[in-house]
Amino acid sequence: MAYVATRGGERAIEQSERLYRAQMGQIDAARVAEIEKALPALVDRVMGEASLYAPDLAALALAQSGGDLYEALLLLRAWRTTQPRLQIAEVVAPDAGFTHRRISAAFKDIPGGQILGPTLDYAHRLLATEVLEDQPYAPPAVEPAAKPAPATHPSLAEWQRAQGLVTTPEAAPVPRDEIPDLTREPLLFPAKRAHTLQSLARADTGGTLALGYSAMRGYGNSHPTVNELRLSEVEVMVAHPDGRRFSAGRVKTSQAEVVTTKGKGELRLGFTATLGWNEVKCISAATLDLNAPGAEKNSPVEEEFFLYHTEPVESSGFCIHFKLPHYVTFQSSLDNLRAAKSAQAEQAQPTDKEEETA
Amino acid sequence: MFDRHGGEMPSDDLTTLARADAARLKLLAEEILPRLGDMQVLKSGTGLVMLPMRDTVQGVEFHLGEVLVAEAHVRLPSGTEGYGMVTGRDIERAMAMALLDAALSDGTAADRIRAFIEAEAQAQQAEDTETLRRIEATRVDMETF
Repeated sequence: MAYVATRGGERAIEQSERLYRAQMGQIDAARVAEIEKALPALVDRVMGEASLYAPDLAALALAQSGGDLYEALLLLRAWRTTQPRLQIAEVVAPDAGFTHRRISAAFKDIPGGQILGPTLDYAHRLLATEVLEDQPYAPPAVEPAAKPAPATHPSLAEWQRAQGLVTTPEAAPVPRDEIPDLTREPLLFPAKRAHTLQSLARADTGGTLALGYSAMRGYGNSHPTVNELRLSEVEVMVAHPDGRRFSAGRVKTSQAEVVTTKGKGELRLGFTATLGWNEVKCISAATLDLNAPGAEKNSPVEEEFFLYHTEPVESSGFCIHFKLPHYVTFQSSLDNLRAAKSAQAEQAQPTDKEEETA
Repeated sequence: MFDRHGGEMPSDDLTTLARADAARLKLLAEEILPRLGDMQVLKSGTGLVMLPMRDTVQGVEFHLGEVLVAEAHVRLPSGTEGYGMVTGRDIERAMAMALLDAALSDGTAADRIRAFIEAEAQAQQAEDTETLRRIEATRVDMETF
């Protein structure tokens, strides 16, 4: 056993937790509701990485952890294990969601048009410091169009397939309860595509960005262009015991498809989707997916490398475990180091020249 | 959304009830409850529904993640069953949906429930239309782009 007992630190541990929680003070339902309302992007990010769609619980986890994202994820992933799985919903088709935003950076005139939806992409990045001077900021109201947008938009990849630009064969559908599931089976390599996509859906946003960005800067083999970026709400289609099908409600999802022209006379695509609206994660993870085929072993765009290193609970957990007492292992290493040094000193008879340069 | 796994057309009534305003739904269920007799609660609680999606590159089906839902399943003295499932953790809301589903199947207060579903469906449609009008306002006009 590499760790020493920490029994002597019981009081210190108890007080240290109190000291941490004192920073946040009392947590009540109103605070949780305010977090859910005020920080939708953060709540979405946490839900995606936790792989659990429950906005109020994500807000609660953020309140309880004081905004430490990895602590919040751990709380949610742990809580999830207390819940039974009731059903597997019907498979969501990528073009079936109630679409809020759908753009392409590769094609200007896409079928259905470019719908910007809610975004700060073109906003001036000005900090509203007047808010701190007691002048609340109220955003100007949206001016709705006379006609509603279509609720759904066609898939760009389908259109490209029809044009002969993409020829990747479509996989045969599998029974729903046979879709590979990482929460019930280990991730093995080479990974099943279903495992890769589920893993990316749960991946750490910062992790996928760091590795995806390295590919974008040239450490990968393909430069991405956003073929299609989509923010939607999808129906959770479940079954009544008598067989009737219905939607239990809508959940927010995001999906990105990136494309490269570096193929054998056709376009090659990469894809990622996640729960909640999180564009940076989907674009960077789709870039990893695009770069993975044929990637060099141990490179950041190689599947095993990026899937292992972007799992947020495992990676953060391994990182923070280094704070635990390693006195015995470290002492043992130190003893070895000292023994080696003294053995070296006994054996080596330094020359005059070496002494001068030392 | 109604993909190749699906059989019959989805039930609009159940979908409307699941999305109905929670307060109004519970109020109606409370009003009808005394007329349903001693019912048996078969299930009432929260749980998870795994949500799969199909990828656009290879058409592979994969799991996006789990959705927290509340579920209720009841049986009336007549043997008629009712079921409710809604996203979130509001068990009372799922129970209210299950009661209304059971009542509707049993023919209890059917007109009242039908009228409720119709009104809620209209409200939901209006809400969607309003959302889509706001989304349409963000369409890029490529003629002048």
